[in-house]
Amino acid sequence: MTRAVIDPVTRIEGHLRVECEVTDGVVKDAWVSGQLYRGMETVMLDRQPEDAFYVTQRICGVCPISHSHASSMSTEAALGIAIPNNARLIRNLLEAAQFLHSHILWFYTLAALDYVSPINALSADIADTYALAQAAGTRVADFGAIAKRLTAFAENGQLSFLGGHYWDHPGYVLPPELDLIATAHYLEALEMQAVANEIVAVIGGKFPHPMTSVPGGTAFVPTEQKLDDILFNFIRVKEFIDTALIPDTLAIAPFILETTTYGGGCGNFLSWGVFEAADMDAYNRFLPRGFVTGGLKVEEVGPDDVTEYVEHSWYDSASGLNPSKGETHVKFDEYNTDAKYTYGKSARCKEKPAEVGPLARMVNAYVYEAGGKSLVPDEWAGSVRTPKALIDLTLEALGVAGKPEILVSLLGRVAARNLEAAYVADLALMWVGELVGGIQGGDSEFFKARETFDGAGSGLWEAPRGSVGHWIDIKGNKIKGYQVVAPTTWDIAPRDAAGVLGPMEQALVGAPVFDVERPLEMLRIAHSFDP
Amino acid sequence: MAHEGHNALHDLLAVRGVTRRDFLKYCGSIAAALGLSETMAPQIAAALEGAPKLLPTLWLNGGSCSGCTESIAQVDSPDVATIVLDYLSTNYFETIMAAAGEQAEKQLSDTIAAGGYLVIYEGSVMTGQDGNTLLVAGKKGTEILSEAAAGAAAVIAVGSCAVDGGWVYGYPNPAEATGVQAWLNHEGITTPVVNLPSCPVNPEWIVAMVVQLLLVAGGDVATFVEKTEWLTRSYTDRKYGAVDLLMPKGIFGQSIHDNCPRRGHFENGEFVTEFGSKEEAMGYCLYKMGCKGPQTFTNCPIVRWNRRTSWCVEAGSPCIGCGGLNWVDNNAPFFHRLSDMQMGDALGNVQPGTVGAVVGGVAAAALVAHGLGMKAAGRVGDGPPMEEMKAYDRKRLAKKGGDK
Repeated sequence: MTRAVIDPVTRIEGHLRVECEVTDGVVKDAWVSGQLYRGMETVMLDRQPEDAFYVTQRICGVCPISHSHASSMSTEAALGIAIPNNARLIRNLLEAAQFLHSHILWFYTLAALDYVSPINALSADIADTYALAQAAGTRVADFGAIAKRLTAFAENGQLSFLGGHYWDHPGYVLPPELDLIATAHYLEALEMQAVANEIVAVIGGKFPHPMTSVPGGTAFVPTEQKLDDILFNFIRVKEFIDTALIPDTLAIAPFILETTTYGGGCGNFLSWGVFEAADMDAYNRFLPRGFVTGGLKVEEVGPDDVTEYVEHSWYDSASGLNPSKGETHVKFDEYNTDAKYTYGKSARCKEKPAEVGPLARMVNAYVYEAGGKSLVPDEWAGSVRTPKALIDLTLEALGVAGKPEILVSLLGRVAARNLEAAYVADLALMWVGELVGGIQGGDSEFFKARETFDGAGSGLWEAPRGSVGHWIDIKGNKIKGYQVVAPTTWDIAPRDAAGVLGPMEQALVGAPVFDVERPLEMLRIAHSFDP
Repeated sequence: MAHEGHNALHDLLAVRGVTRRDFLKYCGSIAAALGLSETMAPQIAAALEGAPKLLPTLWLNGGSCSGCTESIAQVDSPDVATIVLDYLSTNYFETIMAAAGEQAEKQLSDTIAAGGYLVIYEGSVMTGQDGNTLLVAGKKGTEILSEAAAGAAAVIAVGSCAVDGGWVYGYPNPAEATGVQAWLNHEGITTPVVNLPSCPVNPEWIVAMVVQLLLVAGGDVATFVEKTEWLTRSYTDRKYGAVDLLMPKGIFGQSIHDNCPRRGHFENGEFVTEFGSKEEAMGYCLYKMGCKGPQTFTNCPIVRWNRRTSWCVEAGSPCIGCGGLNWVDNNAPFFHRLSDMQMGDALGNVQPGTVGAVVGGVAAAALVAHGLGMKAAGRVGDGPPMEEMKAYDRKRLAKKGGDK
């Protein structure tokens, strides 16, 4: 029995520690610890609702847009504001740009180095690399030049951010030619994630921390030129997803198929829903709301179903509260896996641990479509690849057709994120068309001013990495209560009052660890949640 | 870091397929960000090419949201930027580095032991709960900063959180956040700190400072500090007292209002009074929506964001003054044009309670009195001399024990 520890978990947003008890090469128990407390909820008190829109998005520099949308939605719910249709579409576009940015950045910049070795790529045969790229249907680059560049990099001894890692770990199993292809796309992804964010800058002024999805609608009024910029950049990003992200996923997957046998986790999948449809019904969002538990059974779910426990967290506030009554009284104690060990609260949905994120959304969407309902308007059918079609095609490509349950695994969590990117990219082009059509038809409404200064409400939405909820209580135009349940709060939740492990902890249990000094498998599982 | 040789960068550029022309273009944009004439581009290129070795760099994340890391990932011409950043050997950079856990920490300790490195610090310095509000590898975040900064050639504090605690410092500052300079003063560490406030930092500014370090002094920090044009901005940290911040004047010397493309509408008295309105479509001035451009000193309208795509005001939002000091307490409520009425007790937290879009008459008069007409945005080098701080802002900041 050994304790294997990763502290810090790098290539994530934030400060995370993962500790596992390993016996005979298998994880038997796990503790996931959030190592930072900042206190946003307390900072927001006695300020004004619009200030929350601007400030609370600073919780996360990778998903600020989703936080800002959840914040504005909570204020709109509290004050009874229905945003105009143009604002709905502009927010969908802004959110879509962030999803595409985030998913590309996650796969290549944050996660890929768990599977892809740029060092191994040095021994690639260039001609074979081209042949492999062609066979895999993935994007061709100047592989010769990139190999030269890598060689110069390595010969300089200038390993920089690639230094110090265990590239000789036997978990790096890709052929050098595939490593070279993926490394080429790693570099190209740096460009494409920034292109996605140019869309954010057009609509929101800048990324991170865009400025325009204010409570009531949007402050952004598009011009023809700006709409062109938005459309053109979405087309560029979509092309990269179709010619690199998806084929790379399918090319790498066969080499790591054993990752379908572990890493699944709690099997409860929560989605608040994201990308508003014209009817503004959360259950009909393009990625719909739902809570799927064992056996692909979906339940309705809402703000009252959330409870946060702090028995194992460094707080001395009451445990078991709904966020509408939530408290945040920080009190550090020693790090002790038998007692308190994290700043993360233990969020529970209907008293169960709940995985959130692309896998949870794709499972909910799959169940929705499997039930015979359509996620998109009929006339979009030829232009948008929906989640079920994408999942079924992927299962077929991997030789496991008809077995969607295989997705509840490490590999499934990786694949779900990339498949979701393909769906969202298709949708974005449709929304641009819808927005242009509406404006041309004379709709010039972008914002609705509020008429009241009191109320309470919640904004439940999805960030690229999972479900985000903001709860606000406004009295006399001042914030009297503010609580956030961020995506990572769900996934890195510690044990609850009953001692039940959180989603990432459960995903770690049962995983093989080849070498406790170099716990690559644990790193992969932690990264798969994009915590 | 064995990248020796006079033409090291030149070789690197060639092997990476970057043309001389691309490189000079990039050096030109660095010059613009620095507030230098673009005719300086060849000298910048020469400085880069002539530098003898990679500067080891530690990018440390304090109480951050990783937004400043995200921001640097958006920098223009990424291939060239990658090289300029590769030119710094980023031995430790949690958000992007391959190594994790023990292997990552070894990168950190080895670099500190070797000395002669640059620290780039993102996020607030977390002193709450006796320094336990941030833990990395079992150590307090404050200890890591002190240890790394003490042996560093210089520290660049990127983003408002690193500069003065940022939003995390917002009242009541439950995690007892502070800025890098305040913390190093407290610890008696005298390593020079360059401050780049804004939430997040504009990536062009980081690149500009790094190049300035190489251009002016070939990596020699004393010369860098001596030869660069600085301004000092002072504030009082509620826990650590008076702090003087060193900032590059080329970036933080002029107000957003001075360089705003909507300035002409301000002069004409043409204002937006509701979001998404016809006036917004015409690009009118956002002053009445609470824009903090007149009291915020950054070159955002010139450098812009995300590869010069746009910036906050162009997209239709009033500036919320995230490049100012203690920006949340000083500027919220963001939609109020009431900065001249900020009362601010010792805690700096009392906010005007009045509701409604009131334009502070005194502030408006002061602005008009000092308004010298619309200036051309984007001028660098040979433009008119920079204005000293406006009387209006001097008065306002003086209440906070501010600028001299």
